[in-house]
Amino acid sequence: MNGSDGVRAEEHPGGTPPVPPADEHTRVETAAQRTGPSGLRLRIAELRNLGLLGVLALLILAGSLTRPAEFLAYDNVVVILTLASVSGVITVGMTFVIIGGGIDLSVGAIVALATVWATTKATQMYGTGGVVFCALAVGVGCGLVNGLIIAYGRIVAFIVTIAMLASARGLAINISSGHTQTLNADNQTLVNLGYKDAFVFGKIPPLVIMFALVVGIGWVVLNRTTFGRRTFAIGGNPEAARLAGLNVRLHTLLLYVLSGLCCGVASLMLIVLTGSGTSANGNLYELDAIAAVIIGGTLLTGGRGTLVGSVLGVLVFTTISDIFTLNNLTTATQQVAKGVIIVIAVLVQRLVAERRAGGDPG
Amino acid sequence: MPEPPLLVMRGIVKEFPGVRALDGVDLEVRPGEVHCLLGQNGAGKSTLVKVLTGAHQPDSGDIVWRGDQTPQLTSPTAALRLGVATIYQELDLVAGLSVATNIFLGHERSAFGFSRRGEMNHAARELLGRLGHPEISPGAEVGRLSAAARQIVSMARALSYDARLIVMDEPSAALAHDEVTNLFRVIRQLTAAGVAVIYISHRLEEIREVGDRVTVLKDGRTVAAGLPARTTPTAMLVAHMTGRAYEYVFPPRPQANEGAPEILRVEGLTLPGVFRDLTFSVRAGEIVGLAGLVGAGRSEILETVYGARRPSAGRVVLEGRELRGGSVVAAVRAGMGLAPEERKSQGLLLLDTVAGNVSVASLRRYSRLGWLDRRRELADARRQTRALDIRPDDPRRPIRTLSGGNQQKALLARWLLKGCRLLLLDEPTRGVDVGARAELYALIRRLADSGVGIVLVSSEIPEVLGLADRVLVIREGRVLRESDARELDEHQVLDLVMEGSNR
Amino acid sequence: MTSRPLRDLGRRGFLTSGTLVGAGALAAACTSNAEPQSDSSPAAKAAGANAAPGKKVTIGFAGPQADHGWLNAINENAKKEAGKYSDVVLKITEGSNDAAQQASQIQTLINQKVDVLIILPADGKQMTPTGRKAMTAGIPVINLDRVFDTAQAYRTWVGGDNYRMGLNAGDYIAKRLNGKGTVIELAGIDTLPLTQDRTRGFNDALRNYPGIKRVGRAAADFTVQSGQARTAELLQAHPKFDALWNHDDDQGIGALQAIRQAGRTNFFMVGGAGSKSAMDSIKKDDSVLKATVLYPPTMAASAVRIGRLLGQAKGMSDLAEQEVPASVTLFSAVVTKDNVDSYLPLAFE
Repeated sequence: MNGSDGVRAEEHPGGTPPVPPADEHTRVETAAQRTGPSGLRLRIAELRNLGLLGVLALLILAGSLTRPAEFLAYDNVVVILTLASVSGVITVGMTFVIIGGGIDLSVGAIVALATVWATTKATQMYGTGGVVFCALAVGVGCGLVNGLIIAYGRIVAFIVTIAMLASARGLAINISSGHTQTLNADNQTLVNLGYKDAFVFGKIPPLVIMFALVVGIGWVVLNRTTFGRRTFAIGGNPEAARLAGLNVRLHTLLLYVLSGLCCGVASLMLIVLTGSGTSANGNLYELDAIAAVIIGGTLLTGGRGTLVGSVLGVLVFTTISDIFTLNNLTTATQQVAKGVIIVIAVLVQRLVAERRAGGDPG
Repeated sequence: MPEPPLLVMRGIVKEFPGVRALDGVDLEVRPGEVHCLLGQNGAGKSTLVKVLTGAHQPDSGDIVWRGDQTPQLTSPTAALRLGVATIYQELDLVAGLSVATNIFLGHERSAFGFSRRGEMNHAARELLGRLGHPEISPGAEVGRLSAAARQIVSMARALSYDARLIVMDEPSAALAHDEVTNLFRVIRQLTAAGVAVIYISHRLEEIREVGDRVTVLKDGRTVAAGLPARTTPTAMLVAHMTGRAYEYVFPPRPQANEGAPEILRVEGLTLPGVFRDLTFSVRAGEIVGLAGLVGAGRSEILETVYGARRPSAGRVVLEGRELRGGSVVAAVRAGMGLAPEERKSQGLLLLDTVAGNVSVASLRRYSRLGWLDRRRELADARRQTRALDIRPDDPRRPIRTLSGGNQQKALLARWLLKGCRLLLLDEPTRGVDVGARAELYALIRRLADSGVGIVLVSSEIPEVLGLADRVLVIREGRVLRESDARELDEHQVLDLVMEGSNR
Repeated sequence: MTSRPLRDLGRRGFLTSGTLVGAGALAAACTSNAEPQSDSSPAAKAAGANAAPGKKVTIGFAGPQADHGWLNAINENAKKEAGKYSDVVLKITEGSNDAAQQASQIQTLINQKVDVLIILPADGKQMTPTGRKAMTAGIPVINLDRVFDTAQAYRTWVGGDNYRMGLNAGDYIAKRLNGKGTVIELAGIDTLPLTQDRTRGFNDALRNYPGIKRVGRAAADFTVQSGQARTAELLQAHPKFDALWNHDDDQGIGALQAIRQAGRTNFFMVGGAGSKSAMDSIKKDDSVLKATVLYPPTMAASAVRIGRLLGQAKGMSDLAEQEVPASVTLFSAVVTKDNVDSYLPLAFE
């Protein structure tokens, strides 16, 4: 147990080490022992995700070297961040679920169903408000069903969410008959959010702001509220959490609702981007989200993880995709590279952690 | 002229980090006998069995198996090949596979890689028949069988290896009374065929019924070997088992306060198959001990009172308010706390810090509209860990780097912080070294003195007698006796829990 | 999860389409000499001996699950066409993407002794034995789009031409650019033969124009979402280029959104397949989309007509042949603003 899972201190927004030692509730591991409780090194050890940041830096370097003019162009950064927004929001929900000891394989299908349901002719009759409400309601509803069956029906999350995956995707196909449903002329408010006129200060796309908001709120909830603390407790040891008097079932239910809500938000973002809804949306989102969460340093078994890591994971994936398109490389090569980078990121992370834990001279 | 022994173990020593589990054990087993191993929890019986079956390698000592001075007991499989089989308390069968497959698991009859099912079914039927259970079908799924039938399958598996010695660790623990009778019949058939059985049980009456000779272990040593099972007086066996090497230091008891208000009342509590119609109460400031053997239902009683298990009947009343059955949330809210038996798997959040473990039950207090006041949380946790002298003195340290005793103190701190009225302690000193125990005892007494009611469960009878004010002696889910702790001694309790009668 | 493979299957066979010329030729072939462009329901105009009611023909129709707009349109086309003939009874099965299930549905049709079978197989390879079985039972099989492994399994194959789709797209773009400029290709799924065929055709066309250079290429998985994402990236990669060929109008919805979001207008785009939204856009001329290359689902309507002729033992009266041909490959016409009106009726939702 010791050492093998390395040092993963608590993350900090933007990687800033916390200043006041007294109020830091940290999840520090072996490094703390070696360096003493008050050492400066302990604080440095809290800069988690150094490995992932390194990978991201390498990618940025690669992009700048191969396509110097285009890669670092402001518009290209906007494209990367915009594309990261959709999967990023889903990944935020997924991070909560996985830290809480669960898994949600239905996120992609929920996104498909939400975009389809929100863009039917009937929904569009209620205007943009109807579309927004419908997308969020479908997301929350699916999450509620997942959560109820998992928490109170006591069926494992893997099975429940795989069933949801199949049925939500099937329902989406049924509702749309496989058509791509575009937003009609009366409902262009959402679509307009994707255009440059809607950029805040003429610079920042609303989607990126939404993404930042979701991440910010998610970070606060995870790290600064009792809900977040309970999520860690329940994911780390559900039996101990139960015997400590936590309402494990209710909390589990809420985690899946949260994931569903994130899917609803992501669906809206997808509608903004594509102006349409289709049952083919969100394909394999679940795997991308899980991969991002895992390379972000969250334990697949729950109880430990960071939101910042997950977001970095998403950024790594979107950046890879962008660099490959910039260089006209095929999808197949891209998938190989993605796999290799996942492994490298995790390895680097481990190496950094071990060095920090073991290499202290004093 | 007695025949040569089947197995001789001499001076077996096995050390684990920090513990000398076996400290010179001698054991001699003859062919065709039922040799009983007796000893308190922690006396070294399980370790000895593991050495014998190849799961552990002894640090020193000699083993002679059927005249072979250097038997290759290097692994459980190797031991099986030599003819030493074990039937574990938790049967190591694969629930989803058939009876025949389980019996021949690891040595399937096969030809060119294809298993010969017909032949295996046939052989399995014959083995089951030899054990007097032809009614068990070789094709049946093991998971659907009763505990007793599964035990038979385990034995058939042992026989399939042509076992000469079968070790049975608490084989009757999971069985009903008539099933035990049946088990004994099977054991007699085995011994009649020359197979020797090492029988481990806490139940003296069983040892007397089925056993031939008894070896008693205490603190990792053989204290008596080869006593006749039927004629050795109980008092003598118990004397061998007790008389420990070290003494506990218990804090002094205060005067019993008859006027103290009743905190907990349990009435007619029943958990089917484990305990029934249990009634007891706890006063403020009182420590009530539950004494009994492993499997007597002690932990289940605590868990049911706590709401972690749902009783089929009865009520739990805490400070005059009846609790909703089967709800930990309700129990904790009403003021109960539990330090569970399996500290690591049931009690601690191992990935979290000391502070996180202390505050987890009281998070509501540090929440303002959901926002966690971490400064106050840490300050309060620090106050508790200082008060309990948890070392090292840093609540931000990961809990898993602490010693067992300090981890236990952190669990107590959790409930102290919560301010609970009734504390349920299940094996609070398990895995805690002797020095730290005294400290824990003092702490528990201090808690009681502050007005908290405490229910204490321990396998160590001296601990219950030394720490508790009042003791309930429990056997098979029934209270045999309730009395002031000072009126009982270890022998009496052992007599009660082993014989079920006060002799 | 299930949706992508289904979709892929759905697309695998689309040879792109028949078109003006293709559909026209066909219509003309089986009617006498009607001018299809002039009327949205050519059958109504079908004149000549073949159009006259004849012997009653029962046609069995088995296709995959209509989980995609194009497949849905295939079913619609077949039903609508059959409704036009008093002498045709169409027995249409619940579509299935499972080869085994489709095989049993077809067996049921064989048992009902239908006169002709139209099969759009869930998988051409897997369904080949079923096609042979029907042929052996004396029922002529019209194989739609996804081709069987052997000609023994069908009487006539009707489908599109992916290679020519790329060829025509390349040719149109090069001509419009006057043989000089840079192009970008937004492909479908690179591992699918149909995508490879379209790209091969496109490359072959460009080879004839040394002044045209393909500067960028990405694959967008045939989904709106990837269409948007890949196009957004491509636009950043290539601040200046002259034309974009997009293999598929569905992913084109996303591509067009990305183009609008980037505010780019300095190039034109050619789509593929011939969806209604693409044609509407071409007609309105409100975006960079100037043309689309067809792969129309009207092939199902043609199959019904051919089936009727086979059932009545007639040939195509426009051909000199006594018999209906063994294979009909549709033409992949290029739809532009100039001719879009005549193709709009063929567009699918």
